Amino acid sequence: MNILGIGIVFTGGCGIDAYENALIKGFNAEDNNLFVYSVDLDRIKDKNLWKKLRRADKFSKMAVLAAADAATNSAVLHMDKKRLGIIVSSAFGPQVTTFDFLDGLLDYGEVNVSPTVFSNSVHNAASSYIAGVLGVHGPCLTITQFYFSFQTALQMAGVWLDEERCDYCLVGAVDQYGEVLGYIQNHKLSLAEDGRIKPFNFKPTYQIPAEGSVFFLVSKNKTDNTFCKIESICFNKNNLDNNVDVDLNIIDADGAMADESAYLSAISPKIPTAAYAPLFGSMMIGSAFNCTAGALMLKNQAYYKNPVTDNPHGINLLQDQGSSSIERISCIRYNCNTENAIIHLKRA
Amino acid sequence: MSDNKTKELIEIREKLKIMLVENLSLEDINPDDIKTDEPLFGEGLGLDSLDAVEIVVMLQRNFGLEVKDMNKGKEIFYSIDTLADYVYENTKNKS
Repeated sequence: MNILGIGIVFTGGCGIDAYENALIKGFNAEDNNLFVYSVDLDRIKDKNLWKKLRRADKFSKMAVLAAADAATNSAVLHMDKKRLGIIVSSAFGPQVTTFDFLDGLLDYGEVNVSPTVFSNSVHNAASSYIAGVLGVHGPCLTITQFYFSFQTALQMAGVWLDEERCDYCLVGAVDQYGEVLGYIQNHKLSLAEDGRIKPFNFKPTYQIPAEGSVFFLVSKNKTDNTFCKIESICFNKNNLDNNVDVDLNIIDADGAMADESAYLSAISPKIPTAAYAPLFGSMMIGSAFNCTAGALMLKNQAYYKNPVTDNPHGINLLQDQGSSSIERISCIRYNCNTENAIIHLKRA
Repeated sequence: MSDNKTKELIEIREKLKIMLVENLSLEDINPDDIKTDEPLFGEGLGLDSLDAVEIVVMLQRNFGLEVKDMNKGKEIFYSIDTLADYVYENTKNKS
């Protein structure tokens, strides 16, 4: 399947141009020296979209913004909305709203809980908002999984397209920062107090909690705007370093696990390695953001340098920035049980 | 109308306006811009039936008032003025 459009909401702004600018600019200690990489929705200018999202929580708003942005970015004008699917993936779902609902129960009892908060705490709320705002009548699904939710969603989108369940699919990832998540993350893991996530440290690791959303419009069809092809999504593949026909490995190391040494087994001295988490933060759905960087590189045929290059293991890091011939990029994620998931991207 | 009642009603109206904006996420609306006699639903402020349920919860939480009869609710929820009158009368009766 092909990526025809990308929408993104992250701490650096909204839209693929904002993300590309962040990749080109690289890590800036002044911009990024924060303890949470949060999304400022007040910066979003599209008031028409906003009116349709009055009752939505931040989780759903980020998802709708990214999904709508992906549809617009694709420039596909004539899409049968009955043949457009939606798959939302998340590690935690709308956990901030769920905690708000629980607080409401404790504070006011079950009779006086806000019905709006309850409806937003339902896991499929974000995909329903996307369907409502964009007028989509195709299949609609939410996948909540701790480590590989985005990869699973992409795999499902591939199945839907192969089985002709739909012609296009908006597939994406969203997670929201909240006090509870921040508390757990900062107590179980080490906070990068200097504001720099060091993806190649592997152990000890340093993280910065974050939030955001990425959506792809994918299809079997190809357009002039196609970013790249998603060649395959593999789980638990061995002998990763033998895969020498890959031009770049992007790893999801971001300090969100206390020990990320498993990535060392995926790194080949022959293939340059990159990781872009310092630009968007530590998130279980970080794969979607790294995958977006890979898609941009394949479309633009240009590399974006590593934002943070602390390299205690002396691995072959991507050093260059600028034009190059790029055919294949692998986006690699490990979980704490050293299981992996790889998204193989290929030039369109 | 006594000065005390007038003063209390003004306070309740201001409180209700702020509550509506906050609880119903009326982000583009300033509480001061809500006219106290304009309809809350339909062509006035543009609220809908889901907002009505949220207002019921708001009254229960903040004033301890229950609106069980939705036919009566139509009259009570007509405007900020009618809502404030209901809150004033019923909190007065309670105390």
